Amino acid sequence: MSQLAETNPASFPILGKSTKELRVLSDSRHLSLSDAEWAAIQAHYKTLKREPSLAEIETIAQTWSEHCKHKTFTSPIRYTEGKKTRTIKNLFQETIVAATGALKKPWCLSLFKDNAGVVAFGKKWALAFKVETHNHPSALEPYGGAATGVGGVVRDILGVGLGAKPVLNTDTFCFGRPDWTGALPEGSHHPTRTLRGVVAGVRDYGNRMGIPTAGGGIWFDDDYRLNPLVFCGTVGLMPRWAVKKEVKPGDLIVTVGGRTGRDGLHGATFSSANLGADAPSSAVQIGHAIQEKRVLDALLAARDKKLYGSVTDCGAGGFSSAIGELGASCGARVRLEAAPLKASDLDSWEIWLSESQERMVLAVPPKNLKALETVFAAEGCELAVLGEFTKTGRLEVTHHGCVVVDLDMGFLHTGLPRAERAAVWNAPASVKPAGGASKKPSEALREMIGHLNVCSREWVIRQYDHEVQGGAIVKPLQGVRHDGPGDACVIWPHAATGDMEDFSCFAVGHGLNPDYGRIDPYWMALAAVDEALRNLTCVGADPARAALLDNFCWASPEDPKQLGALIRAAEGCRDAAKGFGAPFISGKDSLFNQSKDEKGKDLPIPGTLLVSAVAPVPDGRKAVTMDFKGPGNALYLIGRTNDELGGSLYHRVLGRTGGEVPKVSPAAAIDGFKALHAAMTRGHVLSAHDLSEGGLALCAAEMGFTGEFGCLLDLDECPRDPRIYSNETLLFSESPSRILVEVKPENESAFLRHFGKSAKSAMVRRVGQTTANPILKVTGLEGTTCLEESLKELKEAWQTALPKILG
Amino acid sequence: MSLKLQPTNVHLIEVRLKSEFNDAEGAAALALLREQGLSSLKEVRTGRLYEIAGSLSANQAHQAGKELLCDAVTQEFRLVSPAPAPMNGMNCWRVEVWLKPSVCDPVGATVIEAIAEGGLPKPAAARCATLYLLNGRALKAQIEKAMIKSLANPLIHHVVVTEAHS
Repeated sequence: MSQLAETNPASFPILGKSTKELRVLSDSRHLSLSDAEWAAIQAHYKTLKREPSLAEIETIAQTWSEHCKHKTFTSPIRYTEGKKTRTIKNLFQETIVAATGALKKPWCLSLFKDNAGVVAFGKKWALAFKVETHNHPSALEPYGGAATGVGGVVRDILGVGLGAKPVLNTDTFCFGRPDWTGALPEGSHHPTRTLRGVVAGVRDYGNRMGIPTAGGGIWFDDDYRLNPLVFCGTVGLMPRWAVKKEVKPGDLIVTVGGRTGRDGLHGATFSSANLGADAPSSAVQIGHAIQEKRVLDALLAARDKKLYGSVTDCGAGGFSSAIGELGASCGARVRLEAAPLKASDLDSWEIWLSESQERMVLAVPPKNLKALETVFAAEGCELAVLGEFTKTGRLEVTHHGCVVVDLDMGFLHTGLPRAERAAVWNAPASVKPAGGASKKPSEALREMIGHLNVCSREWVIRQYDHEVQGGAIVKPLQGVRHDGPGDACVIWPHAATGDMEDFSCFAVGHGLNPDYGRIDPYWMALAAVDEALRNLTCVGADPARAALLDNFCWASPEDPKQLGALIRAAEGCRDAAKGFGAPFISGKDSLFNQSKDEKGKDLPIPGTLLVSAVAPVPDGRKAVTMDFKGPGNALYLIGRTNDELGGSLYHRVLGRTGGEVPKVSPAAAIDGFKALHAAMTRGHVLSAHDLSEGGLALCAAEMGFTGEFGCLLDLDECPRDPRIYSNETLLFSESPSRILVEVKPENESAFLRHFGKSAKSAMVRRVGQTTANPILKVTGLEGTTCLEESLKELKEAWQTALPKILG
Repeated sequence: MSLKLQPTNVHLIEVRLKSEFNDAEGAAALALLREQGLSSLKEVRTGRLYEIAGSLSANQAHQAGKELLCDAVTQEFRLVSPAPAPMNGMNCWRVEVWLKPSVCDPVGATVIEAIAEGGLPKPAAARCATLYLLNGRALKAQIEKAMIKSLANPLIHHVVVTEAHS
């Protein structure tokens, strides 16, 4: 009999209990354990001939949660597509990891295993990038949920390798429309309130920590009204020697930063269930940005003195997860009475499981403890030794001499039963566009430019400090009045390295369009990768050196149709990575994003994939913005336009359904991006802007009103499918991989030489020119003007849409 | 409002913007409350409340309010006595939005450290609240409902609505 069975007063009897009784236990304690998982736990404790303690059950539930173990992506799935059925053993390994492995990029320094992906940045440095979601907490408490989302992802960057310095925050949100007037179920927040709270939370945490927030986007759709999505990202800079970490038996387990309290219990298990009205208030926290700033400063100082061998953040699961992960390959012995507490009346399991913010755990050689204490004391940052790493292969936790956890690491980390799930995907039959009422191009354009998914985000962006650290070369708002929509941000991070002669920068871009996923998630995934890469290309980043992050947000994977769609998206990511030669380096999934609506019906979010991309900009002085730079310059359209208006903004404003979803040809696309990048590095490009929602018409309008010059376009010159006979298709199609580029007349020949054969094969064509008069004028296929709009009026419509609703 | 910690002393310090200054936070709160149906509200002024428990005397709490918690140029402060507020015909309301005890209060934690660093006895606990002073006719139930729809979240906040001096 173990010491635990003899001494632990807080045992948690499960042996002999029925499935029904265990379900009740699971629900009452928010454990989110399935029947099969309970059975595995029962079998394990039966062999031990004892009951588990409460802390052990909580530890297992946290470690085995969807949030921590990504069960859907790593468990077998019986997948039926049409009439064919096959078994996927491990979706993550067979799609994301397989594609990255096949690419074998030597500049990828750390993939999937650490808190963030890491890529080389020059010879001495590396960039770490992670995007996290904080959806469930933000639905319950928008301000606190979003703020701690930022705090969490910043700690991921502090906890990657031996720690990286955060140099950029990104934020991407999906909300219900803020002008929603329908009913909402009890306890849910109106989308406007969610938006205001989330933006304020991201603002306050990022600004107070002195990290620029300069990238991201917002997507509005009523199906997010109960389950908003909050993607928080951080890029960190680290020396290459700090990429590797190692825990050695005998290292001290040291916690630094915030104290442990009752706040934040059950965050991981809560995130692994459908959102309902019974969410625990303890799953929501209020962050302390100043505390985290102290941790940041002290940690990086200690890193540079090489005082610790490994570090990770206390995220979901608190100490149980952080220490369990660090000691997974060796073992750990923890004495909970050493943990600094916010309140003295915490139970053992609460100290062990608490997700109190702003805490990190370090593995410290005993000889370095004194020096580490000095570094942290200098920043006013608390530090405590909780125990030591062992070579027992066990997780042993005591509290005032009483054993509260004694778990075999092998069972904890590999004992999770992998239940097979079923998934179904039926390809939609090709449906011709139908419904809605036709509109004149000018009318449609005015409506689209003021649409919530297109209009200016200045109301949000201006709340963020994107200038702090002094490295924002290409800012989120651009043009002569600093108010136009940039494609991606370019950051010069060398204020942190001190090398003022190094002009290398990096850019971060994003791709997201759930409307395409409603038709086919496979093509949504390819389009998201394509959009992220072309955004990077537009500002001067090297598309051949782009690294990708995936963030899947989905409804319940227990619904075979939802899971089938998720598989389609993952396979799209795989094919996109291979096709573009761009590896995924990190990612995250957030599932169970569905709730009961006001009528008690399940309201799932649309399957959503955010692709984030980072790539070096070799010389920041050659970075390009999207605003027209002068009159009389040539306009080139790169990429072919097809009749693919399915899921487009044009169809949305017409109320039309059906049509072909845009399809990506990665090989042709990356050729175009690389050629454009080469032209940019030689200074042959004045401005570039990607064609996304709203197509060519919106792209040209945005470039025009941001630069305060007009343009003349001739649709007959567009590289296109010769079967297109409609001006509207050429104006508003969202065919991917297209970029509109401004080139000085004297540079046209040199510019075209970069495209080689592509130019001859009509991949790139001169489609018009810029003008002094701020008018967007388009000649249609029939040779007459089909669109003529004042850019001043379009800009006003673009700028006022969001403030009109938010006040 | 008490933390129920039973310390030797509990002081409630109220810090408000001086009346001659425009209260932008109050104006934003007014707009939000009107959106929630309190259309007869005329003005909202905002402030902060600090409940400090520990061995501070009244004089020391006064010193903390004056030297630490209040910007003497734009703000004024007072120690709030627990005397019941007189009825005023439902025209002036005092709304306090407190974080629940289970929720982390970073501002309160900072106040504890700052008071100690200022040379005063370290408080045993400190909590911070947002204060809204509403001017305009309304019913208590209406205010409570509007608050939890706009400025407070019942999951983490405890809202106290009382009639106040005009």
